[in-house]
Amino acid sequence: MTAGPSRGRRYVMLILLLCGFCIVLFRLVTLQVLQAAELTAKADRQHQKTVSFEGARGMVSDRHGKVLAMNVEVPSVFGVPTSLESPSTVARHLSPVLHIRRDELEKKLRQDKSFVWLARKVEPEQGRRLQQLSLNGIGVVMEGRRFYPKGPLLAHVLGFSGMDGQGLEGLERLYDLHLQGEKRVTVLQRDALGRTVFPRDVAEQTPTPGHALTLTVDEVIQYIAEKELDEAVTHSRAKSGTIIVMDPQTGAILAMAVSPRFDPNVVTALTPDRWRNRALTDTYEPGSTMKAMVAAAALEENVMTPGSMVFGENGQMVVANTTIHDHDKLGWMTFSEVIQKSSNIGAAKTGMALGDQRLYRYLQAFGFGQRTEIDLPGEVRGLLKAPKEWGRRSLASISMGQEVGVTPLQMVSAVAALANGGVMMKPYVVSEVRDQKGHVLKEVLPQVRRRVVSPETARAVTTMLEGVVTNGTGTKAAIPGFRVAGKTGTAQKVDSRTGAYSSTQFVGSFVGYVPAESPRLAMIVVLDEPQGESWGGVVAAPVFRRVGEQVLTYLGVSREDTVKIALAMKDH
Amino acid sequence: MKALTIVAGVLLVFVFVWERVDVVRLGYQIERLKTQKILLERERDQLQVKVSALAAPERIAKVATEKLGLVPPQQGQVLMVHLPGEIPSLTPPPVELIRVARHDSIGRIRQ
Repeated sequence: MTAGPSRGRRYVMLILLLCGFCIVLFRLVTLQVLQAAELTAKADRQHQKTVSFEGARGMVSDRHGKVLAMNVEVPSVFGVPTSLESPSTVARHLSPVLHIRRDELEKKLRQDKSFVWLARKVEPEQGRRLQQLSLNGIGVVMEGRRFYPKGPLLAHVLGFSGMDGQGLEGLERLYDLHLQGEKRVTVLQRDALGRTVFPRDVAEQTPTPGHALTLTVDEVIQYIAEKELDEAVTHSRAKSGTIIVMDPQTGAILAMAVSPRFDPNVVTALTPDRWRNRALTDTYEPGSTMKAMVAAAALEENVMTPGSMVFGENGQMVVANTTIHDHDKLGWMTFSEVIQKSSNIGAAKTGMALGDQRLYRYLQAFGFGQRTEIDLPGEVRGLLKAPKEWGRRSLASISMGQEVGVTPLQMVSAVAALANGGVMMKPYVVSEVRDQKGHVLKEVLPQVRRRVVSPETARAVTTMLEGVVTNGTGTKAAIPGFRVAGKTGTAQKVDSRTGAYSSTQFVGSFVGYVPAESPRLAMIVVLDEPQGESWGGVVAAPVFRRVGEQVLTYLGVSREDTVKIALAMKDH
Repeated sequence: MKALTIVAGVLLVFVFVWERVDVVRLGYQIERLKTQKILLERERDQLQVKVSALAAPERIAKVATEKLGLVPPQQGQVLMVHLPGEIPSLTPPPVELIRVARHDSIGRIRQ
């Protein structure tokens, strides 16, 4: 038995084995040590999937829970240009489904990118059709899209949100932090087929949706206001118009209509001018409607009583070298008649009797020249100069509603104070904020700002304002079966070219409340630059009547002329 | 005794493996149900938007006037009747109070 050749073979085997082992060892060190970080990351990419979740944006509903804005998941379409074989063929297939021009799509798909959006937040049906096409390199993800199911209804108050769910205008902007859903990033495990295996922590997967808002607005009252305003604006060929309906006892806004309207579902084609909420961003000279507040101040300060006699100077009075005119040549009249006939001279004399400091103090107390602090963005202060800045004519002018700039919201809030017995209430549109489980996070209660006049003064002014509707300039605002208190206003606009009062551009308005004895509604109607007849009593007062009549019926308010009659019940 | 220990050990291994497999299976099931829930919620939201859009006062008014030929009630056509309760009691009082608009033609029920 010789050991030579077998030993030689053994050495060869040993060397081969050692070599093999060295190769394995080398590979092992390369994989486990040298390329460790890179490979771990690669593996994680393959079997882990990072997904960002965003809770749905909160819902907005009216005071009866009717949905005004809500989020729905809809498909968004993206492309992966680097993995496309023929961008032109894909574009040809996509074009009719997405309603986007073929060359436009092809341009996007030819970009040297690994991801491009082709169409975001399209209709669910389009998403379904795309999935049927199952094109390589084209994908669909779901994203939350904001829907305003009532279209233009309340659009100026609701505002709208942008493509990435951020609030851009109106309540959507002011309450964005509440409405926004929670954003969360989660890591999911995937198997070999790319399906997600249960996540590391199941609870992590559902981000909480945004908070829901309940408004004080009633969609039916809002609809009535918008419909009547649109008709009035069309009929009078006015540039724009505003109606605000408020509950004078609480300051809750029941309707806020601005014409022309817009649809928040399609805002891309519109200019900001269209979605501005004129009810609180635009000021106008109120004209005669201001006389209601001047009268209240005069009664409260005992400068006048409803029966005080005032001489109308036969329709002309010179103040600071300028002449103040009245519509009619009025002689002696009671203070009530001054308001009823809307005498400028009577109002100027009342203001003079009050004096600049007292008049200014009352107008401030009624909220002019300052924000009402309503929970809507973009509100302006208006214009009320301090007495030291007044000219020689200012006292007379301001008393008849000139030289001041007010927003429709300021005016209706001031008149609501006369309606509720002399208390300024803070206007508000959101009454409740709730979380996703329905728990109330914030409840807004009516907020008293200050007492302006005594209940007796408020009652006396109410009687005078009723006279405006029964015998004065506002007869067209009368609602059969109800006592209406209100005041008309027709103000000349300042011509931007000449800087003087225009003889053709007016703002016609009517502000009032009903039923006068226990008001349920305070309302203002403002029409900007109506053509032809522009008197507030002619263009705005009838709108007040039409809206008031329908809203009172809707609210089930009993008519004053209802009688109680005995009805014998028959025995059955 | 030894055999019994081996059998118990093997059984334990089986139970462990079975449990792992079942956890994975349930994991898939949970995922499937979750996807289903998301799809159903999506459908519910889409339907809610549809219902809200269909119930818009503007649309209802349009259908009522144009399709059904209805008109808004004119002055005096709305009668507010206030009765003490919705459900008539078993022994109704002989006289009930109702409120009616004065100018309406209600001679029929006036006393």
